[in-house]
Amino acid sequence: MIQSESGSGSQDFDLNLAPIIDCFTVLITFMLVSASFLSIGILDAGISAAGAEQTDPSRQPKLTLAVEITSGREIRLQLNDTGKARSGSLDSRKLDPVKGEPDFGGLQGRVEEIRKRYPELGAAILSGSDGTEYKDLVRAMEITRRFVPNVILGGF
Amino acid sequence: MRFQKLGRLGGAQKPRTSPEMSLQITSMADVFTILLVFLLKSSATGALNVTPSAGLLLPQAQASEANVEAVKIEIQETTIQVEGVPVTTLSSFLPDGSDRVQDGSLRSLASALERERKRQILIAEKNPGVKVDSRILVLADQRAPYSLIKSALASAALQGFTDFKLAVVQGD
Repeated sequence: MIQSESGSGSQDFDLNLAPIIDCFTVLITFMLVSASFLSIGILDAGISAAGAEQTDPSRQPKLTLAVEITSGREIRLQLNDTGKARSGSLDSRKLDPVKGEPDFGGLQGRVEEIRKRYPELGAAILSGSDGTEYKDLVRAMEITRRFVPNVILGGF
Repeated sequence: MRFQKLGRLGGAQKPRTSPEMSLQITSMADVFTILLVFLLKSSATGALNVTPSAGLLLPQAQASEANVEAVKIEIQETTIQVEGVPVTTLSSFLPDGSDRVQDGSLRSLASALERERKRQILIAEKNPGVKVDSRILVLADQRAPYSLIKSALASAALQGFTDFKLAVVQGD
C-alpha cells in the first residue's frame, strides 16, 4: 500500500529565516565597522640624490625636464640637455597661477608639447619651494607622469 | 431601517484585525543579502590594508592600486609616525629646530627608520627567503610643506629606503 505524501514523509518544509537574519546582522555589522571606503592609490617616486643608478652616466637620460612649483604657485619649466651635442637649457617657460591655483592645465599642455617636440625626453625632475604644498607636487607629478614615465623628486 | 455602527470619525467601523502581527522577514533577508554582497565586494582584499589616521588628508590623484607591503610613515600636522608609532612631534608641520640635522634629515625619524632597517636586516639574516626591502610607503597630509616632505624622504634615503611609494586618494 502506498503511503500518502501528506503524512510524515512530506517533502515540504518552512524555511526558518530567523537564524539567517541573525547571521546576516552580525556579518553586516562587522563589515560596516571594518570597511574602508577610501580608494588608496600609489605613486612611485624616487629622489634625485638617492640610488646608484642615478649616478651612472651611461644610464642618465640626455634630456631632462625640470618642473618647479614655487610657494607663489607659479610653475617653472626648464628643458635641459646634458648630451655632448647640445648643452644648457633648450626651453624655459613660466606659468602664472590661475585664480590662486597653479596652472595645471597649462602644465599639461606644455609637457605634452615638449614631449612631442623631443621624443627622446627621458626624465622629469619635480621640485618645489620650501613652502610649496604637497598636494600641488602630487598633482604636478600625476600630470607629468602621463607624458614622462620617469619622474623623480628634486631639490635635495 | 438598518443603521451601521459608526466609528469616532463618523465612518463605518472596520472589522477588528487580529492583535498578532507576523513580521515579514523575507524582504529583510533580501535586503540583507544585497547589503552583504555589496560590503563583501568593497572590502579590502589586498596584502596591505592602508588606512590613514584620523585627520590625515591624503592628496588626490589617479594612480595604481595600493598593493604593496612596505614600511609605512605618516606625516601629519602634529606628528610623524613610523608603523603607527609617533616618532617626531611637529607644530603645524614644523619640526623642532633641534631635531634637524645639517644634511636636511630629521634625527628622530632617521633613528626610527634605522631601527626598522636593522630589524629587516636581522630577519633577512635568519631567513634566506626574505630580502631587505628598500620600499617605503609615505602617507603625507596634502597640506604638508615640501620642506617637511624633503626632510622625511632624506631621512628615509639615508637609511636605505630609496623606493618611495606615495599614497594618494584616487579621484573620480
